[in-house]
Amino acid sequence: MSKSIKSQTGSEGKIVLQGKNLEKTYKPPVPFAGRRVTVLTGADITLYQGEIVGIVGENGSGKSTLMKILVGALQPDGGNVTDDVRIGWCPQETRLYDRLTVEETFELFAEAYDMSNEYMQKRREALAEKLDFKRFLDYRIDHLSGGNRQKVNLSVALLHEPEVLLLDEPYTGFDWETYLAFWNLTDTLVDKGTTIAIISHLISERERFDRILELKNGQLHEQEGPPGEPRSAAHREEEKNEEENGSTEN
Amino acid sequence: MRKFFIGTRLRVVELTRQPLTLGMLILLPPAVIEMYGIAVASFPQLPSLGADPATVGRITGTLFSVAFLAGLIGLFQVISARNGDERVAIAGFSRRIMLTSRLITMVVVSLAGAVVAFLVFNFRVTVANPLMAFWILTLAGLVYGLLGVIIGTLIPQPLEGSIVLVFMADLDNALSSGLFPLTASISLPVMGEIAVTDLVPLYHPHELFVSAVLQGELAAEHLLPVLGWIGGLLLVAFLAYGQSTGEGWIGMVPGWSK
Repeated sequence: MSKSIKSQTGSEGKIVLQGKNLEKTYKPPVPFAGRRVTVLTGADITLYQGEIVGIVGENGSGKSTLMKILVGALQPDGGNVTDDVRIGWCPQETRLYDRLTVEETFELFAEAYDMSNEYMQKRREALAEKLDFKRFLDYRIDHLSGGNRQKVNLSVALLHEPEVLLLDEPYTGFDWETYLAFWNLTDTLVDKGTTIAIISHLISERERFDRILELKNGQLHEQEGPPGEPRSAAHREEEKNEEENGSTEN
Repeated sequence: MRKFFIGTRLRVVELTRQPLTLGMLILLPPAVIEMYGIAVASFPQLPSLGADPATVGRITGTLFSVAFLAGLIGLFQVISARNGDERVAIAGFSRRIMLTSRLITMVVVSLAGAVVAFLVFNFRVTVANPLMAFWILTLAGLVYGLLGVIIGTLIPQPLEGSIVLVFMADLDNALSSGLFPLTASISLPVMGEIAVTDLVPLYHPHELFVSAVLQGELAAEHLLPVLGWIGGLLLVAFLAYGQSTGEGWIGMVPGWSK
């Protein structure tokens, strides 16, 4: 298990990706034709080499917006992002071409990543083996089940062996075996020094993460709690505190 | 160059896997050309038409079917691939190459549409210069294919984009067909006083097509404006695509990137 890397490096670890004072407000395309929604109000995030970070927050809190800004899919209204590493992005929606086969999809993305054909084939085979979609390589994306599509979605992000992996709800639709294979894969990657940030609105296995960042009111806050403590226990602790505070107020 | 070839090949592969589109490409031109021929056949034989009304109707229907199909495919190509394009661009594919490969696909669509429409048209009407007429149809397809790409880029919603394209193509076709001899003109800077009909995208292709079909001659004074339309629309397509995808127009200039 690789979760100790962050504790080994601590704040001394190499920074691989940093977003400072990120701001984002969605405005209607035409004045008065919709509402302005402010999602980020000066969010700061720093990712260190070889750590695995969970990003949580309630629906609509701006988690996906934050990730889009970190990968460059969206321009922030304020703040900046600095990185000089290979990034892999697995968006929440698959964002692939429905009418291409899985093989063609890998071919296209390998070209985008400037990978050689041999290297792409090696990586594709390894990922297909690991996530168990080898028999679907000649299937069109729109002929895949939701879970298999998500496997391809994730594999495309992993294809070029990125140094930072940004995953937005990556295990949606996975069956239990694939879910375990996913965590097995992330452990291997983190052991190799890959940094992984995972967005989820519900992180049920806190012990799998080095840090949990909560996006609330447009800003990120690191959740406190002893490392390795199950998220469910942390929840119970919070609920207990809230109850105590409530009874004091009453 | 490798990126360009792979991108273009996969765009064409995607296109060939759309049975409905391919069906439209084969079935729509005969239906539209015949319906236009039948509808316009009942028009009075006016000297301004230049040919019998049924032929004029088929000429109008042929241009419309090629242009509208290319426009629709251009529009939906851009809209349906928007999310995928964004991800591939972030992965490292140049947006300039991506748009160029889409435009090459547009040329393929325009050629295919022109082949089908021309074969149907030629079956019903004797064409004085078949090869010239065919290439003019391809140019008309290109003009509207580019318009479709621009509309799809600026209005990335299937319903709204289609509505704009439908109204534009209908109005354009009606004005350029010569079936409604309008005399309205407007005064424009540089161009001076100009007939309203001369400003619509299909006007010059229509004049070229009529000349090739009926006289077998190249109406040279209309060729340059058509090429001008294509060049102008290409420029607008690159600028609009660059702006709408966040690349910025400068990012679409070869040798520059953000």
